[in-house]
Amino acid sequence: MIELLKKLCSLDGTSGDEYSIRDFIISQIDGHCEWKTDNLGNIIAFKKGKKAPAKKLMVDAHMDEVGLIITNVTADGFLKFTTVGGIDTAALMFRRVKINNDIYGVISGKPVHLIGKEERKKLPDSESLYIDIGASTKEEALKLVSLGDRAVICGDFFVAQDKIISKALDDRIGCAVLIDLIKNESEYDFYASFSVQEEIGLRGAKTAAFGINPQFAIVLEATTAADIAEVSEEKSVCELGKGVAVSFMDGATAYDRKLYKAALASGIKSQPKRAVAGGNNSGAVHLSREGVRTIALSLPCRYIHSSSSVADTNDMENLLYLAKYMINYICSGEAE
Amino acid sequence: MNIKETLFALSSADAAGCVSEAADLAYEMLSKYCETEKTHTLTVMGFLKGETDYTLMLDAHIDQISMVVTNVDEKGFLTVSAAGGIDTRALPSRRVTVHGKEKVTAVFCSTPPHLAKGEVQYGDISQIKLDTALGEKAREIVSIGDIVTFCAEPKELYGTRVTGKSFDDRAAVACIIEIAKRLKDKKLPLNVAFVLSDGEELGMRGVRPAAFKVNPNEAIALDVSFGDGIGIKEEECGKLGGGGMIGIAPCLDSKLSGKLIKTAEENKIPYQTEVMGRSTGTNADMISVNREGVRTCTLSVPLRNMHTDVEVLDIKDLESVCNLICEYILSGGIMND
Repeated sequence: MIELLKKLCSLDGTSGDEYSIRDFIISQIDGHCEWKTDNLGNIIAFKKGKKAPAKKLMVDAHMDEVGLIITNVTADGFLKFTTVGGIDTAALMFRRVKINNDIYGVISGKPVHLIGKEERKKLPDSESLYIDIGASTKEEALKLVSLGDRAVICGDFFVAQDKIISKALDDRIGCAVLIDLIKNESEYDFYASFSVQEEIGLRGAKTAAFGINPQFAIVLEATTAADIAEVSEEKSVCELGKGVAVSFMDGATAYDRKLYKAALASGIKSQPKRAVAGGNNSGAVHLSREGVRTIALSLPCRYIHSSSSVADTNDMENLLYLAKYMINYICSGEAE
Repeated sequence: MNIKETLFALSSADAAGCVSEAADLAYEMLSKYCETEKTHTLTVMGFLKGETDYTLMLDAHIDQISMVVTNVDEKGFLTVSAAGGIDTRALPSRRVTVHGKEKVTAVFCSTPPHLAKGEVQYGDISQIKLDTALGEKAREIVSIGDIVTFCAEPKELYGTRVTGKSFDDRAAVACIIEIAKRLKDKKLPLNVAFVLSDGEELGMRGVRPAAFKVNPNEAIALDVSFGDGIGIKEEECGKLGGGGMIGIAPCLDSKLSGKLIKTAEENKIPYQTEVMGRSTGTNADMISVNREGVRTCTLSVPLRNMHTDVEVLDIKDLESVCNLICEYILSGGIMND
């Protein structure tokens, strides 16, 4: 699954521009399921299992990642941009970016030598940041890019022992697990949605859930692990290497209690996600139509939404096992 | 190898403290064109004999901006100190290489916004921990005193512009190697000593023993200077693509500055001037007060985003610098002025 995840992370797909991710996923799942795309671009798949399920289940992962969108070009050929999804200003400063999957640029700034002592203590206004693609005039820049083009902050996939460092682990890990579930034999039939536009307000999952009309849902995600220096243990949210993070409540969803308890009691290494903050596609899915009983299973991930998110390969394996376990738990009717 | 390929190869290598990859590579490159030696300070020196005893020293520093490990905790987080000027605001979630017993890829901690304890102290690098993600194993691989460097492979941008790390001062090192290549079979009116000095970022250290040893009559320090960009005043910077920046300053030799300008004008080589009020902040400050004094000038490549891993320069400026220096040397420098 590492190779699959590497390929998924190396592709660029900001919200609303998930084309390359979608094409790759379709190339992977074609022949292993029935699939279609809906009007927003979600991939809706039906995986035939060995048995008909007692409950109709949807498993969701989002294809999009946070990034940038080009809004203007200056006379000197610098590109003005705004963020697509939440990115800290510190994570933008002096970063290499890739526009339209193939043009490199850098987010430029004043060198440290020309900045006063006081100014060095505060983050700059994100409005003061521009992308430099090497063009010296507006005309040169417009030969390569157009307004509305998307960019991502570069962050190569790196793996050593148990450690993964990459951009876009949120949520290519969910995509990788879902592809794996579809490519391999399943006990029960289930529906899958590879959703668009999560990072700009859980938009794709809303229409996907309406279309599928499930009774239950599993959302596969990556979530903040704050088990880092300078943060006390009780604020760590979840920890790397301690298994899948299972949510009881976040900023968008109060999760199904029975599913939450079943996941933690599964015997597969897992931990509660210990912060009522953030949100994911569950927020849209659990409120679909007459309501959907929903659980979120997440890969603990440090420095999420940055170009160097850090995760643990064992947690990744456990996310796959726990997703399989929960599919069987729900589809067998045990969650009734 | 053309000058861009030389720059890219040098940019990918590291040199700081005891890490000598870039110095080793530059030694290998320079020794193809002239007699070359490496000193105990990791400085590389090459020499081309001319027809007189008059010696011109060309200097570029081989070291780069770096950090050094000052603590390794039991969970695998490091505290580091900056060895040279680093904008700490841009460190969170930045990927770097720790030169431990083996190379470790590590990421600076970025505290999620909802967990930050009040204002983040960006001015203080010791507050921003470096995550090896190795847990307790970190102590087996990383030791106090290990060097930390930025990691980024160089890439081409639009036209002749390129981006990467350590262009400060590998841009000038690449020029020196190119100049040695062009001059190796030429009849030279003076001796040329090439010095790739260590320890500039720590306070222009390596160039002092090097200049003492070479004992030149005149010297040019090749370095980088601020390139134009958003929010940078015109008088603070040079234009990318506008040619090398010839230094004019009270501590520099005005005849040398003038001869460089004249050479550029006569040969129609693009150049720009960089006027500084006092000293230059480059190795020229040290070379000029070597022994009984050396007539010295600076020639700098305009560079954007200095001291980051996304430095940007224009290859045309490297060509201009090489053309200018070669013509200057062949015309005898200021040996008769």
